[in-house]
Amino acid sequence: MTWWIPLRSLLRNRRRTLLSVAIIALGTAISLFVYGFLEDSRLQIQAAAVNEYGNLQLASADLFDDTADGYDYLIDPEREAQVRNLLSQHAAVTGITTQLQFPGLIASGKQTQVVRVTAQVPGNSVLNADKLVFKGRPLDETDVASILMGRSLADRLGLHVDDVVTLTLTTVNGAYNATPLRIVGIYKFTSEQVELQTLFMPQSFAQLLLGTRGVERLIVGLESISATDDAKEAIVSQLDRASIELDVRTWFELSAIYQQLSGFFDLLFGFLTLAVFILVFFIILQVLTLAFLERTREIGTLRALGTTRSEVFRQLLIESAWLALIGSAAGVLTGVLMGWGFNALGIEWQPPGTVETSVLAVRLGLLTAAPPFLVGVVSTLLSAVFPAIQTSGIRVVDALRVN
Amino acid sequence: MGTISQFCHEQGRSFLEAQRLTKTYQVGGSTVYALRDVDFTAAQGDFVVINGPSGSGKTTFLNLISAIDRPTEGEVVVEGVSTNTLNEKQLAQLRKEKIGLIFQTFNLIPVLSAAENAEYPLLLQKLSKSERAKRVDAILGEVGLRDLARRRPNELSGGQRQRIAIARALITQPKLVLADEPTANLDSETGAQVMNLMRTLNEEHCVVFIVVTHDPAVTQYARRQIRIHDGCLQEGGAHDVVDTASQPAA
Repeated sequence: MTWWIPLRSLLRNRRRTLLSVAIIALGTAISLFVYGFLEDSRLQIQAAAVNEYGNLQLASADLFDDTADGYDYLIDPEREAQVRNLLSQHAAVTGITTQLQFPGLIASGKQTQVVRVTAQVPGNSVLNADKLVFKGRPLDETDVASILMGRSLADRLGLHVDDVVTLTLTTVNGAYNATPLRIVGIYKFTSEQVELQTLFMPQSFAQLLLGTRGVERLIVGLESISATDDAKEAIVSQLDRASIELDVRTWFELSAIYQQLSGFFDLLFGFLTLAVFILVFFIILQVLTLAFLERTREIGTLRALGTTRSEVFRQLLIESAWLALIGSAAGVLTGVLMGWGFNALGIEWQPPGTVETSVLAVRLGLLTAAPPFLVGVVSTLLSAVFPAIQTSGIRVVDALRVN
Repeated sequence: MGTISQFCHEQGRSFLEAQRLTKTYQVGGSTVYALRDVDFTAAQGDFVVINGPSGSGKTTFLNLISAIDRPTEGEVVVEGVSTNTLNEKQLAQLRKEKIGLIFQTFNLIPVLSAAENAEYPLLLQKLSKSERAKRVDAILGEVGLRDLARRRPNELSGGQRQRIAIARALITQPKLVLADEPTANLDSETGAQVMNLMRTLNEEHCVVFIVVTHDPAVTQYARRQIRIHDGCLQEGGAHDVVDTASQPAA
């Protein structure tokens, strides 16, 4: 059979077809708009997670699982060099750095605060706090007894750049140690919690304070986020072959917040998709039932001329497919225009628990358009199945009697 | 005016038989007979006019012999095959290949042009585009509507629409054409033109025409006239055909 007869049939009642197209388009556009918004938010959180954790981290399983006893998890310099050598053989690896973290207590005047010190290699390309600094300066390789402090903590303690605080900590041998530290920079972060609890310090000075030459983890930068899983698989097998007992975790595994939000976004989009699907399904079901019913006599004629039941069914379904394609395409176009308009407004908001505003945006692209387009097409096609079966199955002699 | 034997060398060969054809309906718990024990035979080249009052069973009879309805009892045999033995798909195949239908209200597809309406049965037969175009051109020429090929049904007069319906019925070169009140929606002059056309095509193509009507004017075109009354068939005998000036000589 042909594709153009159903298309012409679709266009015979233009007002009704326009109404159907508008309903499908509206559902698709809303779906695309919300999906684009959620995708943009998801990607922003993803980028933040990669900035926070790197693409991959290698460390003792005890450290990752928080079951370590003291500083047993530390990686000594020889093992670190061995692992660096293995990692550098991997084409997707763009950088490697190390990190060391430890708890401590800072005191300033009469105030004290429990903190977590993150010791990094200043200026490394994979993970550092340089970009976060908004007052003072980033850490330097030559820095000794220098720290970056979070904006929220500095505000709470009334501290500024060049002020000095005292840090008390426990060394790897269990001895107490205390040192004065100069604030060389104030950083800001999306999370207020991080700003209140985390201090950044040069790794070499941290090792000196703790009395160790070891690091707790190696952090790996990759050429792209999408390369993460493949790289992990390759690195795990490299480590196995070299009998190195280190766990490899991806940014996704390390970022609980991303996992939670991603799951929430999926749920939200799932509900929206279901709502749009049901809305489009039932409205188009009504419209098509009426449209096919009006043509009972015509369909009886086609059957009388020798068109089989399945051929009539196929024609009605092709007609619905045209409707689905036109409506969903119009919906994608409308959704993209809505998205452009929204993005042009540049609306900012401050997510709960954060200290920074971010721009609300709708992500527009082929990948974000595909799921809403499919929702429009599938819901319309499914809504056509029942009336098409009913209409094509009518007895010819009964259909011809209908006026 | 010549007789059918001059035009159709297969004249007399039985094409369709109805044997003890009965159709009943259940109305309010009682059985109503629309047709009762009807026997009928149509041979190649026949032009049969069946008339009778409204509700006499004419259309029911046409529906049964055109295989769009099934009899309660009895059978319809087309070229030796009982339609009772055929399933829905095979009945559709039979209608597609061997039977042309002409309806009282033309039943043209409104979204298709005159040529496309005539072409539709060929689409079902999956003929090539060039073959379809050739046949459409030829049949529109025969019904005199070649110039109106692109017009939609709503742009045509009643007579022109019925001519397109005739073209659609004949384009697959069926052996049997069934017409249900083909002149009912036409004025007398246009009705006469349509009947003349059908007679001409009957003679030229050796096609069996069975025309159901209650229009007395149609009767004069019959070679055989049959009357249905209360679901029973009464053969009216052979008929000399009308000699109309408009009917072309063979």
